[in-house]
Amino acid sequence: MSTNKTSDQLNRRKFLKVAGAASAAAGGLGIGIWSVESGRDPMTYTGEESYQGAAQYFNRKRFEVNVPPYEKIGPTRRVDARTEVIFSRIGRLRQEWDDEKGIDGLSDDLKAYYGNNPHYLESDLEYHREIIPKWIEDREKYQDNYVLSQAWNNAMGSVWPPGIPDSEPPEIADFPWSAPGQPARKYKMKSPDKTAELIKHMAHQLGSTLVGITKLNPDWVYKHTMRNRGIDVNEPLDVPEHWEYAIVVGTPMAWDPFYANPTYGSSRESYAKTRIASHRLAEFIKALGYAARPHTPAGDYDLMVVPIAIDAGLGEQGRHGVLVTPELGSNIRPAVVTTNIPMKTDKPISFGVEDFCRTCKICADQCPTGAISTEDKEEVRGYWRWQIDISKCHNFWYSNLGNVGCRLCLTSCPYSRKSNWLHRGALKVSANDPTGLSHGVMTELQERFYPAPNVEEYFIPSMGGSNASYRKPPRWLQADEYIDFSGGAK
Amino acid sequence: MTIITSGLFCFIIGILFCVTLMGFKTWMEDRGVKMVWWKWGLTVIWIAIAGFAIAFTGVSIGENEMTAAWMGGLIFGIAVIVSGFIFWRLLHPAKAS
Repeated sequence: MSTNKTSDQLNRRKFLKVAGAASAAAGGLGIGIWSVESGRDPMTYTGEESYQGAAQYFNRKRFEVNVPPYEKIGPTRRVDARTEVIFSRIGRLRQEWDDEKGIDGLSDDLKAYYGNNPHYLESDLEYHREIIPKWIEDREKYQDNYVLSQAWNNAMGSVWPPGIPDSEPPEIADFPWSAPGQPARKYKMKSPDKTAELIKHMAHQLGSTLVGITKLNPDWVYKHTMRNRGIDVNEPLDVPEHWEYAIVVGTPMAWDPFYANPTYGSSRESYAKTRIASHRLAEFIKALGYAARPHTPAGDYDLMVVPIAIDAGLGEQGRHGVLVTPELGSNIRPAVVTTNIPMKTDKPISFGVEDFCRTCKICADQCPTGAISTEDKEEVRGYWRWQIDISKCHNFWYSNLGNVGCRLCLTSCPYSRKSNWLHRGALKVSANDPTGLSHGVMTELQERFYPAPNVEEYFIPSMGGSNASYRKPPRWLQADEYIDFSGGAK
Repeated sequence: MTIITSGLFCFIIGILFCVTLMGFKTWMEDRGVKMVWWKWGLTVIWIAIAGFAIAFTGVSIGENEMTAAWMGGLIFGIAVIVSGFIFWRLLHPAKAS
């Protein structure tokens, strides 16, 4: 009996040891399989999932601050979008420029602007004289490679809510009317808290990935707008009283093409999603009887979106001048809905971006035209902020092929990563590190573990490059996988 | 979410590691080593390091970031070996001498 018991114990011990070894091997293999799957799981593409409530969101509560993470250091000045927004001035320059007259042949405001900013005149003329002709030439030679990407870009942009008519001033266009001259019924809301809850839920339902609410700071409204939209661009805009609140919505660009910027990514794809979401939200608010006006990509804005998004707690400004959010990093295309429906506002957040960007500089190193400064912040219209050279930036939009634009600073930003355990963990370490020590380590790891092409390679061949992209495009955008190019285009 | 990234899969891996720890305890006892709290601590830390090394490499492969996969695999793999060597000497000093 005693011998049997000893024998049983031995067998049990032997079994435990063998089972333990087998379990260790199986467990290690299981972690391997799980981690590969978590790396490629489409559910880690934040914002591309169907609406799934708060599960995908960063907990902002402990990073809330009472004042926005930017500094007002002097008298402020509003933007004159006719000259300071490149989309406006570069078109005007093309129309007005005469080689014989030079700067004296320009409209007074444009002449004054370029007189004060001669480096922008140089860059903007280079765009018209040298860059566009080369781009057209190379496009003819190489565009077949990007036909799927461009087709996808066009398809995504084909559903595009119309802008606000030039003939309708904000006092008409922004308000709901049951009949001409007769305001629609305005419903009394129970409380600002409940309204904010409803608006946020509805923004998600209507297609927005992120949403935040703030009181509109008039400093962010253009002094002269860039498009009419019912507002005379040549008259200074008095901020309408009903632009009391700003709701900021935003969606990401599709992640796989985003990593294949500048050639295969698409801004228009996300512009369309955000534009649709913001127009829908404005219509929702109007249906409750309140004023609402969408300010959306591409170019249908009467205000600056990034600082408003910062005020609304969506994120912070990065060195590249645009918004960095905890969930999407820099991969966000935001829009604003101005409204007068009373809502509880969100607090701005500070989750370490400013400190991180001070040491990181990866976006500046990856910018092909050096448009992003490696220096400290500077004073811009009374605020202490990072500022980029937008003319240099815009010139590269037409120095690469694929869909127009670049987006490399957004792609190379260490915050623009998939939502898996590794990058979520890194974000938490970075956000909670008061010393900033982890920022240097993470930047170093980013540079060594996630190498990028040399910036010269991003240019078109006639400018010395090789049409490089940051990462390989997804298979579904590789034209030669699906199209038979033998014998030329049919 | 797939079955692999579900909580059920993690639960199964958790069970496997419990069995692993039971087997390890038995194996150490047979070698005359009694597992006390700090030895369990070292064991768990080593498993965490090894698990992180595997998971980092795997997630990088899944993201198609091959440079991160091999560099991470190499660096964290070395950390696993070095820490394993040190921890083993601490757990089993008789063998080390």
